[in-house]
Amino acid sequence: MPKRKVAALEKVDADLVSLQYKIRRDPKSYAQEFYDQWLAYDAQRQIFISSPSSASSEDNKKFHDLVDLVAHVADLYPDVTAPYFDHLKELLTQHHAVLNPDLREKVVGSLSLLRRKDVIDSTSLLTTLFPILISTPSKSLRSLLYTKIISDLRESNSKATNHKLNRTIQTVLHNLVTSDRTSTKGMWACRITRELWRRQIWTDARPCDVMKEACLSDNEKVVVGGVRFFLGGDKEREEMEDDSSDEEIDIKKVKHQGTINKKTKKRQRATEKAMEKIKKQERKKHAPHPLNFSALHLIHDPQGFAEQLFQKHLQNTKCKFSLDNKLLVLQLVTRLVGLHKLTIISLYPWFTKYLTPKQPSVTSFLASLAQATHNHVPPDAIEPLVIKIANEFVSEASAAEVASAGINSIREVALRQPLCMSETLLQDLVMYQKSKDKGVVMAAKGLQSLYREVYPELLQKKFRGKEATMGLKSGEVKRLKFGEEQVESGIEGIELLEKYKEEQRLKKLAEKGEDADGDAKMNDDDDDEDGFNSDEWEVASNDSDSSTGWINVEHSDDEDEGPAAKKQRRDSSAAPDLISDEAMATAAEANRISKLAMTTILTPADLAKLAELRREAQLDKMTGNVSKRRQELIAKHIEDGVTADDIELPAQIGKKSTKEERVAMAKDGKPGREEHKSTQAIRKSKKEAEGKSSTNKEKARKKNFLMTVGKARAKHKRSLVDTKKRLTAHIARSKSGGRRRNGM
Amino acid sequence: MGSSNKKKKEKKKDFNKAKLKVGKAKAKAANFTDTSFKSKSIVVNQHTLAALDGVDLVGLFKQHLNQAINSKSDKLRQEALVQLTKDLSSKPIFNPVGVPNLLTKLLPLITDSVANVRTNFLKLLRALPPSDVAPHVEKILMYIRGGMTHLSTEIRSDTLSVLDWLIDVCPDETVSCPGGWLKTLNSFSSMLGWNPSVASTLSVKGWTSATKTSLNKVSKKNGEAQAKQITILAKFLEAGFRPETPLPYDEQRYWDSIYRMPTTPNPFAYLNLWGAQRDQDGEMYPDRISRQQVFERKWRAAIKTGVMGAKQEGGVIGRAASVLDKVLRTTEEGAKKVVEEQEKVEEVEEVEA
Repeated sequence: MPKRKVAALEKVDADLVSLQYKIRRDPKSYAQEFYDQWLAYDAQRQIFISSPSSASSEDNKKFHDLVDLVAHVADLYPDVTAPYFDHLKELLTQHHAVLNPDLREKVVGSLSLLRRKDVIDSTSLLTTLFPILISTPSKSLRSLLYTKIISDLRESNSKATNHKLNRTIQTVLHNLVTSDRTSTKGMWACRITRELWRRQIWTDARPCDVMKEACLSDNEKVVVGGVRFFLGGDKEREEMEDDSSDEEIDIKKVKHQGTINKKTKKRQRATEKAMEKIKKQERKKHAPHPLNFSALHLIHDPQGFAEQLFQKHLQNTKCKFSLDNKLLVLQLVTRLVGLHKLTIISLYPWFTKYLTPKQPSVTSFLASLAQATHNHVPPDAIEPLVIKIANEFVSEASAAEVASAGINSIREVALRQPLCMSETLLQDLVMYQKSKDKGVVMAAKGLQSLYREVYPELLQKKFRGKEATMGLKSGEVKRLKFGEEQVESGIEGIELLEKYKEEQRLKKLAEKGEDADGDAKMNDDDDDEDGFNSDEWEVASNDSDSSTGWINVEHSDDEDEGPAAKKQRRDSSAAPDLISDEAMATAAEANRISKLAMTTILTPADLAKLAELRREAQLDKMTGNVSKRRQELIAKHIEDGVTADDIELPAQIGKKSTKEERVAMAKDGKPGREEHKSTQAIRKSKKEAEGKSSTNKEKARKKNFLMTVGKARAKHKRSLVDTKKRLTAHIARSKSGGRRRNGM
Repeated sequence: MGSSNKKKKEKKKDFNKAKLKVGKAKAKAANFTDTSFKSKSIVVNQHTLAALDGVDLVGLFKQHLNQAINSKSDKLRQEALVQLTKDLSSKPIFNPVGVPNLLTKLLPLITDSVANVRTNFLKLLRALPPSDVAPHVEKILMYIRGGMTHLSTEIRSDTLSVLDWLIDVCPDETVSCPGGWLKTLNSFSSMLGWNPSVASTLSVKGWTSATKTSLNKVSKKNGEAQAKQITILAKFLEAGFRPETPLPYDEQRYWDSIYRMPTTPNPFAYLNLWGAQRDQDGEMYPDRISRQQVFERKWRAAIKTGVMGAKQEGGVIGRAASVLDKVLRTTEEGAKKVVEEQEKVEEVEEVEA
């Protein structure tokens, strides 16, 4: 039987894809066709809804195609397709568990397509997808929904921040976390918030609030999600920012390729794209850096938060979190305490039972303790802990690693609160620099050098060192009492700037070649130009300084101080008598210096120079007998917190690494080499794998001998003139870029 | 140079006599087929080779059922349907899976892409006992509506045949089931291009009101199809407007209806206690009056204008349209009465209120 011939039009019309194409080309003429398909879609939907779980594959496929068609042209017939979104929403929310995976994916895709065509707004899309994300048991659907939600939020925030939408979603997430604190559903709030934080779409306090609630949840997973966000979210954000600017396009290469390659539309498009990207990167480079606060700084009521966290997850004996997770929570609590200088007195006694060498991951506990210490923590709270560490960890009998970790952690604590130490204990600990193990020696020396700077009186005289002794004598080294803050009066390092300016001016004058007299005159003139009588200003500010009276405060404080301060008082009372003249001189100088800030307006350039000078001065101070590690420590930002590595590190100092470690270290960051091969061979195989061709030289080398032998013979027979001609021609050609004139 | 020499040689080669050499095999002919290959498996085109004697009939029926839906080959589907029809029309009826299962499985075949499969499916439907079909009318109608607006005109026309059968078998259920009245009318009007709602979406303000696009072109074949559509629409409307004959009073039945368990499935369907909420289109119109009311409100004007146009075309379409017109006329009087009565009732209610 011969096949019936199908007319061209009819054949094409029986295809939904081509119908879609036609509708989009000419929506008015095909309204009738669309309406037909809309009815078919409606009937198919009815069929599906009447028995969602037992729909046949045939029906599913038909429905799938019709949903696809309607979604693609829904924006053209808004009247007819008005209920379409509700249909899809109902379908997905009620039947997502039994829907065929393909159909389900299509429905989700259609919803986001509607969003892209602006048929629905983001809020309605997200409020549809979000409840399903939390409730569905299907992993594939969850990942699909998650990506759709994230991408939609990104899209709608791409041009300008969509505050309204963000607020809605943040409220939804907040409710999700707070409504049922025992369920794992809060994980999704954590994931979404973290992702958007990483992409810098959400940068304000509200997402931090969501995460804060997550931290206070009852579910371990959710708590860990929240805690990890605060501990690592900002770092992740920075890394993401670095990554995005990594891929560089070589503009020269692109332009060159444009000149030598065959000109096709595809290539042209690629070039345009590359140029666009470069432009974008340029723009990004010159754009002002977004001022993003770290999540830890955006927390509302950190004191209450830290207290709640501590009470709920650490102090509470009913809390059954694993040790690792407890440590994470502890890290966050201590980080908050250190950063915001919070006071949680019950935290310090809690530490006591964990500070033994047998405690698993004790170094993390030690690091946390150091983190939790700041200058507002009463020394009475920490002193017993320090003594406990000294007793448990530091003894001749204990292992070298243990002892060094103990001393090191004591040093970290003392760095933040020097008053936590008694004289005898310190002297005992410092004596460990006579130990045999290098790690212990380093740790003890670190402690000693710290106290030389902050509180040299506590050290024995022979350990004080030259600078500290001299500083003590001159009164330069001044111990801060408990509760006392080092307040900067005026602008830090302004004297450096003034000095620098003076130098610059002198240099300029010297260049002009004027004599010394003129120089002096000009100096005077300059002062007059400023329009101030400097003498008057000095007197005035002198008066004000004497009335500020923070020396008086010091004296009043002295009575409240504990016995730790008693010894100090003798020194401080003696010192002013001895060095009163010097003190007067320094005070006078300080007043004179502050003039610069009053007489001139500092430009941004001045401020930049000031920062630079300050850094230099600090470095100058540090160079000399200050170790590299110490420099690192100073350079390290206070916000970074203390990690277990900081405590463990000195124990590694004296140790020889094994051969495997050294080999691994050498291999680190180098390309893999499985077999013994020459570098050339490796490069060649790499090139081949990348699909690049060989060079002309290589081709010439590979050429069949018989093909080259004729030319070689002919070369022997050439005349001298001929040879010369060839040689000169060769040189000329290579200068002008080869036969193809590539350079031209 | 080289290439042209080569080409010359190649051209000549065909006319050179091949030299046979001693000790060498003869050159292979151009159309030589190499049969020296070995294969590990043989693919057979038939699905079953075994003789069918002594196979259990239930299994065979189920196999046919599966083949009718799942088989890729249209021949196989068609043959399976023929077998099923044979089983169903045998005396006594052999149907081990039951009508509901049979229908749920086979109904997607209404829109099968092959014409023979569709006609055989219709034959199968005709073989079903009408009493068993009645509870599933709603479902069948859904598939029919899906097919009525299908892209392919042939499928549309074959679907109409199915609707024709359904009206023959159970007319009351067809027009009174949920969505059976208005939604089917929707599909009809869309099919015929008489839809006022589409025209409003078009919002074309031109000198012509014709919205006839490629699918509704009046060709000879299309004309016949349209005539069929109009005829079946007339039949459908007739079924909808058929006056209900009141049942003679039967005491036993009266008390049964109050105290006995109902014998029909879902006797309180009109309350829609468990299903999703229905809109106006999807609502069920169980009696003639409600059907007529909603028809007056929504469709009479549109269909009337459509009929006028079709009548003017004459030929097959015109004849079909005049039949439809007759149906409309006969109901118009009744409809007016009904509407008036309704208005009166409303007035009385208002007065009472």
